[in-house]
Amino acid sequence: MAEEEKKQERKKRRTATEAASSIGAMVKAAIGGTVKAKEEGKKLAYSFIVCSYDEIIRAMDVVPVWTENYAGVCGAKRDAERFLERAESQSFSRSLCTYALCGLGFDQWREELGEMPPDAPWGGQARPDFMLSSGQILCDPRNKWYQAAQQYMPDVPIYDVGLPYPLYEDDIEVADVQDYYIKYIVAELRGLVKFLEEQTGKKMDYDRLSELVDLGERTWNLIWETYELRRAVPTPMGTGDAMNTMVPMVFMMGTQEAYDFYLDLNKELKDKIARKEGVVEDEKYRLLWGGGLPSWFALTDFNYFNSKGAVFPVETTYRMIEPIYRLNMPDTNDPIERLAWRWLGYWTYWYDKAKKRPGSEPDVERLIQYIEDYQIDGVVMHEAFSCRTWHLGLIWQLNQLRKIYKPIPVLILGQDGKKGEEKRELPSLILESDIIDISTYSEVDTRNRIDAFIETLEQVRKNKADRR
Amino acid sequence: MSDYFAGIDIGSTMTKVVIMNDGIISSIIGPTGPEQRRLANRVMENALNQAGLPFDAITYLVATGYGRINVPFADKQVTEISCHAKGVAHLFPECKTIIDIGGQDSKGITIDHGRPTDFVMNDKCAAGTGRFLEVIAEALEITIEACGGMALKSKEPAQISNICTVFAEQEVVARLAEGVPLNDLVAGILESLASRISRMVKRLKVANEVVITGGGAKNAGLVKALSDKLGYATLVPPEPLITGAVGAALLGKDIVQKATKNSLPLERKKRSLEEIEIL
Repeated sequence: MAEEEKKQERKKRRTATEAASSIGAMVKAAIGGTVKAKEEGKKLAYSFIVCSYDEIIRAMDVVPVWTENYAGVCGAKRDAERFLERAESQSFSRSLCTYALCGLGFDQWREELGEMPPDAPWGGQARPDFMLSSGQILCDPRNKWYQAAQQYMPDVPIYDVGLPYPLYEDDIEVADVQDYYIKYIVAELRGLVKFLEEQTGKKMDYDRLSELVDLGERTWNLIWETYELRRAVPTPMGTGDAMNTMVPMVFMMGTQEAYDFYLDLNKELKDKIARKEGVVEDEKYRLLWGGGLPSWFALTDFNYFNSKGAVFPVETTYRMIEPIYRLNMPDTNDPIERLAWRWLGYWTYWYDKAKKRPGSEPDVERLIQYIEDYQIDGVVMHEAFSCRTWHLGLIWQLNQLRKIYKPIPVLILGQDGKKGEEKRELPSLILESDIIDISTYSEVDTRNRIDAFIETLEQVRKNKADRR
Repeated sequence: MSDYFAGIDIGSTMTKVVIMNDGIISSIIGPTGPEQRRLANRVMENALNQAGLPFDAITYLVATGYGRINVPFADKQVTEISCHAKGVAHLFPECKTIIDIGGQDSKGITIDHGRPTDFVMNDKCAAGTGRFLEVIAEALEITIEACGGMALKSKEPAQISNICTVFAEQEVVARLAEGVPLNDLVAGILESLASRISRMVKRLKVANEVVITGGGAKNAGLVKALSDKLGYATLVPPEPLITGAVGAALLGKDIVQKATKNSLPLERKKRSLEEIEIL
């Protein structure tokens, strides 16, 4: 084996599932595919994940270029710094979203050279024919990133899709306002179809779109069922792997390839469960990854947790689906309306549950549900400094969790048959770094925190045992 | 023959060693730095000399703190969270919350019967650690030791608005030039530091008794400011720097007792005071 190959092999992160280990090649092929598609004259669109219009793009034979994905790949390959620095030299602040900074640095360089930057990871990010912004209320880069990129590509038009949803308030019923939202989202999506028709010179085939939406909905259900298999003890798959297996969910929705991937994963997990094969040999602690994008350059931290007997059977990050049959979607044959209802249903899925628990919020309710369903011993979150949108609320969620969940006494039945009472104790750990900016990361400090957290879990368990 | 247990806590700025049998028989505090960390074995040697013991007399030795990983003569490594919990509970059995203010990090720990139940840690920003105080004291040309007393004399602590150590340093110098009294400036700095630490600690379920440890606990002005911010009376150990090392020694004692009770083998390292290899 060549020295270089040996080096590559050493670097590869250990995964628990075959499915997760196949993802690297899949992403590499997808990124390479966009470059090839460009050469073949196909239409390419810069796009954001969780955009709700995956099937529309696919039905129009537009090739999506997932810009967040490419930035993540640069981060995972520890090769984002030169693009971040280039963006900084263009007067973008380092405190902005580092996905956006990486993408902007890359675009500026590619446009300046008229070709891919030297040694661009996995062949580089292809130049788009148009860009599809996708506002999601809170994430400003989803509106502003491509506007900023346009200064390097002034000939590339943008279509900005507004995708709102009602923010949670415990005295407002979604049903009272949902028709207004659906009307707005449908209008935005129809506008997108019109824009794509103009850009591609093709008419939308609505029968094909319906088929893809059907496929997308079946994929949602399949992912949900598959991920629920991870409730098993020992769990057959952890969050480290889920950070890979999310790829077909967020980058390939509405494709047969995505559906087939989860079919294979489903089978693999069932086989592992039947063999009682877990992520680790001796599963000691079950943890919830309670939010935050991961540090793509430090996914081996999940393996470090595993080396201590800790596994993550569940995560809120990149679990961007709910079972379709629980979303209360009305019967409609219009695929655009179905996409709109699916979007609204997903974002408001936890609202009703939250209303039933005083002081709760949808995000907190989701944590509680997972804690109970997956028999969780502790919660880990990652505060990525450059993602204000999502990460700002994480500590607040933990605080609420402590207030409304932890102090609740739990009745237990001791070995002697006597009823007792104990308080739920759920230690938490907040990791601090970034999604791709490696200069924010210290392996020593991170692992010191993980060590302390594992010891805390052990001590909590001892305390419980002493009380029984 | 008595059993002796040692704890060595290699922090970012200080190395602490404690040797115990039924009580503390020796404790040494020495500086940690790029060179000193390598020579932490000498701090161990000093502690043994103080106790009048050969190294072989140590039944079990636990290392803790940031430098715990590469101590060749330690039988076990335990994080400072568990060690502080154990050490503080030994001194204050009713303690429920620990705040440790170290040279380059600060931590909040909730405990139950000497065992940690949750914790928060700041190792990212100097503004919530002893380093903040060091930088400001240097800018004001006063000693850290003097800060506490000066702050307690202030009747109107100055407002320090910057949350970054570097910019706070500039702000303090500018305020001094404006004529703000030194005592008020120092009090303002301590309030600012206390505010950052209390915000972090309040992520936990703070409960009485609250014990402050680490170098920050030696600063009466900071302790008062922190008590005020938290709304809790706080306690300080007689020597707040050694609680981690005390806990480490006690955890070693637990390990030995458990092994003896269950007739389990005990893994021990060679008792040789080698220099610590920096990885």
